[in-house]
Amino acid sequence: MSSRDVTAFRSEVRRWCAEHVPADWRVRQTRASDEAYVEFQRWWFQELRHAGYAVPHWPKAWGGGMSTAEQVALYQELAAHDAPRPTLAFVAVHHAAATLLEAGSEEQQLRHLPAILDGEIWAQGFSEPEAGSDLANLRTRAARHGDVYVVNGQKLWASGAQHADWCLLLARTDPDAPKRHGISYLLMDMRSPGIDVRPVRQATGESEFCEIFLEDVEIPVANRVGPEHEGWAVAQATLNAERGMTVLELAERLWQAGFRWLLELCSIPGPGGSRPIDDMVVVDHLARFESQLVALRAMCATTVQRHDEGRSGPADASVVKLFYSELLQRMTDFGAEIAGVAGHARTDKPRSSGWESGAWVLDFIGSWEWTIPGGTSEIQRTIIAERGLGLPREPARQDR
Amino acid sequence: MTGGLSEFHEELRAVARKIVGRPPSALGGLEPQILDWGALADAGLLGLEVPEGLGGAGATFAEVAVVLHELGRAPGVGPYLGSTVLATAALLLSDPGPARDELLAELAVGTKMATLVLDARTTRWDGPTFSVAPTANGATVAGRAEWVLDAAGADRLLCPAQGASGPVLVEVANTGDGLVVEDRPLADGTRRVGSVAAEGSPVLAGWPLPPGAVDDLVDLAATAVACDSLGLMEAMLEATVAFAKVRHQFGRPIGSFQAVQHACADMLVTVEVSRALVAQAVDAVASDTPAEERRASVSRAKSHVGAAAVEVCGKAVQLHGGIGYTWESGIHAYLKRATLNRALFGSPIEHRRRLVRALPGSPPC
Ligand SMILES: Cc1cc2nc3c(=O)[nH]c(=O)nc-3n(C[C@H](O)[C@H](O)[C@H](O)COP(=O)(O)OP(=O)(O)OC[C@H]3O[C@@H](n4cnc5c(N)ncnc54)[C@H](O)[C@@H]3O)c2cc1C
Repeated sequence: MSSRDVTAFRSEVRRWCAEHVPADWRVRQTRASDEAYVEFQRWWFQELRHAGYAVPHWPKAWGGGMSTAEQVALYQELAAHDAPRPTLAFVAVHHAAATLLEAGSEEQQLRHLPAILDGEIWAQGFSEPEAGSDLANLRTRAARHGDVYVVNGQKLWASGAQHADWCLLLARTDPDAPKRHGISYLLMDMRSPGIDVRPVRQATGESEFCEIFLEDVEIPVANRVGPEHEGWAVAQATLNAERGMTVLELAERLWQAGFRWLLELCSIPGPGGSRPIDDMVVVDHLARFESQLVALRAMCATTVQRHDEGRSGPADASVVKLFYSELLQRMTDFGAEIAGVAGHARTDKPRSSGWESGAWVLDFIGSWEWTIPGGTSEIQRTIIAERGLGLPREPARQDR
Repeated sequence: MTGGLSEFHEELRAVARKIVGRPPSALGGLEPQILDWGALADAGLLGLEVPEGLGGAGATFAEVAVVLHELGRAPGVGPYLGSTVLATAALLLSDPGPARDELLAELAVGTKMATLVLDARTTRWDGPTFSVAPTANGATVAGRAEWVLDAAGADRLLCPAQGASGPVLVEVANTGDGLVVEDRPLADGTRRVGSVAAEGSPVLAGWPLPPGAVDDLVDLAATAVACDSLGLMEAMLEATVAFAKVRHQFGRPIGSFQAVQHACADMLVTVEVSRALVAQAVDAVASDTPAEERRASVSRAKSHVGAAAVEVCGKAVQLHGGIGYTWESGIHAYLKRATLNRALFGSPIEHRRRLVRALPGSPPC
């Protein structure tokens, strides 16, 4: 697509935002109940969908097909207009879709991709109490009985599971095989009997991640993605989606919304009358963030481009995820520092907002929601060192 | 420090830890713990600096600092900083007399709580925001202050105010008589701040404020907060090391991975650097150190420890993985309190600026 077309597209998105972003959504989503949050999310996702903005990164045949340049323009404008984020659809449009597109059967794709556009909500049930960084250590057991797997076990930290219709599930189908080879990738209907979902309160005070207890849950064999016992490879597709593509949107957010608000914050006169931005130390920080954001955005665009061309490097996604998550942490930390005591009284981060909402202290606490999940920063560094740079592995790590 | 004194501090530490401390395995819980004010009073920890004749221990800020450190290790809700540290110190700067002595005695046994009405954003005092007006049978005070620590629970508010012949400290009852105290909920659930607005509230007692007294109290407050932050980071280092020894991934304790080891080692170095700076600041505040030297010590400690505690508590969250991000682990409470402490009575940026300007050879500004 030529740059002229992108300019025209950008104006279209701008016009759309002016007409569709509800002026009062922050107020409505502040201290919103679960019901109000879910209802708002469902409505907003359909608004995006009807405009053609819900799944820009999907293939054209399934309702997407935007170029990287168009996606960047879309995300920039949404952020610049303070649009809510379709947070509840996150796992569905990224992880579930990536898995189905990479490894799902035609039937599975037909069953779920249109349903996701219609609002089907997904959760990811990978981690367990003993399987976090060492995901391959998972113990949830799926025993095959004819046409169904009977699943028993416990999943931990599944974001949004209390609202989910479906769950991406990793379970052990061959307990005797080496760790990574006895796992299968299953699609679990959350209405199945035997599922008990318990939300866990998190550091920010919200309860958005959950424990899932599974007792004799039956999953049809038809709901397996990829070959039996070979779910580990399928999961890599999902994890890559989490680490790579998603950051394209988040980087534009951090730039258009996060940095803009930080600049505004630094321009407000303090108790003594002077503005933080009059201080060289503050200027220095802002300039660093600005440069790092410009770099991050460029790196994201390159990563997506290389992925689309099938030229991804083995650690591309890790580089981007690591840099984004730690930049988010540094920026929100600095926002909390500048906002000072008054920043602590902002206890009203609206639901449906981005990782940067202007409630700087809560945003800072929330930034660990990027440095821990989807492979911690420590694990990302190991991936970059071992897979990206080809350094030898740490001795005696028993993960195979 | 003499052997006798350090032994006394160890005893004090043990007493305080017994009351406020929790074993690391019981970190957190769903709601912040409430300080057992009665137990603190019974152990004499509320009147450490109050003269013996008034029921206190006649000790110094060096002893109070030991308790503050313990309160940082196991943060709970209670007005130790506002009442026991700041209000007591403000009264001790005032001329003795029946009204002053009576309130000091009550603070020491915990039958009353008070606070110093001072904006917690203050690094340097700009003069009173309250003023006193004489009436037929006494005086009233009017004015307003924001972000006052432990205001809502205080029985008595001590307001620095403009009097007829200079700044005074006046005592006001928190009974609603022309006085509105509003609690401001914070992301950190373990500290309380509020705004104080007085409109003709009756003055119960008043004392002239010596020049520089409020700035000295601000320095004291900053040092007290630094002690608390040191406690926070020390507890987080211990909890993280303990966790890294028992949490297994990849068939090994996570503490056997160099990434985790190096992170813990850096935490330790940061804690020790902080400990050195806090000790100097406490010394400077507790003894007759010349004002310039004391200010430099306070700014060094407050700027360094303020930032370092956020860093160490943040690392603690990170190294605990998903558990660290739960409410129930309680680790978030340390991170939030560290972030608030960093902002109280001067940010690192402000204290660093103050420090460099105070150095010999620094150009005047
Ligand atoms: C907010 C949030 C949302 C989440 N959402 C989901 C979800 O939707 N679905 C899902 O399946 N999971 C989810 N998770 C789980 C997440 O993926 C795990 O928490 C993460 O993989 C870390 O695992 P752990 O918590 O067991 O920590 P551990 O693996 O126990 O790690 C503890 C610490 O040790 C370090 N460590 C471990 N191994 C090594 C090593 N080999 N080298 C160096 N350091 C190491 C880690 O980096 C970490 O700092 C979520 C977690 C959070 C916090």
